Amino acid sequence: MLSSLQNPRQAAAQLLNFALILSTAFMMWKGLSIAADSPSPIVVVLSGSMEPAFQRGDLLFLWNRNLLAETDIGEVVVYNVKGKDIPIVHRVVRKFGLGEHAKLLTKGDNNAADDTELYARGQDYLERRDIIGSVVGYIPFVGYVTIMLSEHPWLKTVMLGIMGLLVLQYAILFEADRDSYDVRIVIALSPKYE
Amino acid sequence: MYNSLTRLQNVFGFFTTVAFVVGAIIAASDFTAPRTPSASIKPTNVQVVKGRPHYYSSKKEEYAIIKFSLDADLSSLFTWNTKQLFVYVTAEWPAVDGGANQTNKAVIWDAIITSPSSDHLANIGPATLKKLRKSAAGKSIDPNRGKLSLKNQRPKYQITHPSGKVAKTDDVTLRVHYNVQPWVGALTWNQDVDFAMWKKMGQGISKAFSLPAIKKKDETKGR
Repeated sequence: MLSSLQNPRQAAAQLLNFALILSTAFMMWKGLSIAADSPSPIVVVLSGSMEPAFQRGDLLFLWNRNLLAETDIGEVVVYNVKGKDIPIVHRVVRKFGLGEHAKLLTKGDNNAADDTELYARGQDYLERRDIIGSVVGYIPFVGYVTIMLSEHPWLKTVMLGIMGLLVLQYAILFEADRDSYDVRIVIALSPKYE
Repeated sequence: MYNSLTRLQNVFGFFTTVAFVVGAIIAASDFTAPRTPSASIKPTNVQVVKGRPHYYSSKKEEYAIIKFSLDADLSSLFTWNTKQLFVYVTAEWPAVDGGANQTNKAVIWDAIITSPSSDHLANIGPATLKKLRKSAAGKSIDPNRGKLSLKNQRPKYQITHPSGKVAKTDDVTLRVHYNVQPWVGALTWNQDVDFAMWKKMGQGISKAFSLPAIKKKDETKGR
């Protein structure tokens, strides 16, 4: 495992390879971001307010372009509340007007009341620009790793430790199976949302 | 090179690859299942009352309470990849001042219809869950749950407009929508056009009607 350290050329090649994998993953993430026109095209569900549709740890794919139709009632959207940094995944239940200043009201399927209480003080409705994407695709459970990592910080340390030990081996493995690891890294990097 | 750790990593890597491929195949299988949804809806009783948005508010708004009858056959939407069906009824009406295209839409009623495979996830009490499980005993897919027949159903949501005025609104229509939530894959909604084996929603839209004037308090009390 450490034999490669004795050969600087080989060590440098592996380091470069590792950097390449990380930057490819980052590029895939940003590329997806441009394609979907959303700051985070893949998100992990954090709360149960959309159960039974979405559970904690499920992975959602977002699309933020209105190519064929406007964001409409019934769509599940991820939105940011003005002045708060907690993006929320809920369904649009009311829409008044058309265009970018249409007034939108959201509600979680599993919640009894609509989201008026969650919005900023004095804000009764959302507008299109508060929304960072509509949910178009769904993969269950895959994002649970990121929830585990953020809720149990010691796991992060353990994982970093193991990864540090295995960096050289990873570099060899990544070489063989680069594409599928890229996807996994993208998933691990995706932010976690309510 | 070939120690236990590398083997473990290889196995895990292969497992995730296979899992993703299987997931993709399941998601793609949705397109092989024909969809022929149909619904008919009509308003049965329409009232407009004055009320407050919440207990501590001093603002008075007009609220429309639209009772309706709904018959729907959405059974073809239930396949092995259906996790739940979200059915919702909207009231839609054109804006008074904003031209022909300015529309208002609000959900007045919705329902989550779970597949037997996702009953345990539904937000219902143990007695209801037991009953629901019994209704589909031995079945992993239960298309019968997609058959709805509601008579004079009370709306779940009383709707208003940001202006607070809804009384005497003309050209209101009720429309039935659905959203299929898969176990894995793409979320799909009712379509306005046919798409391959998926047919557009048959009917599912009511005749235009008008909201009445505000109901007097003494009328409701019967005094």
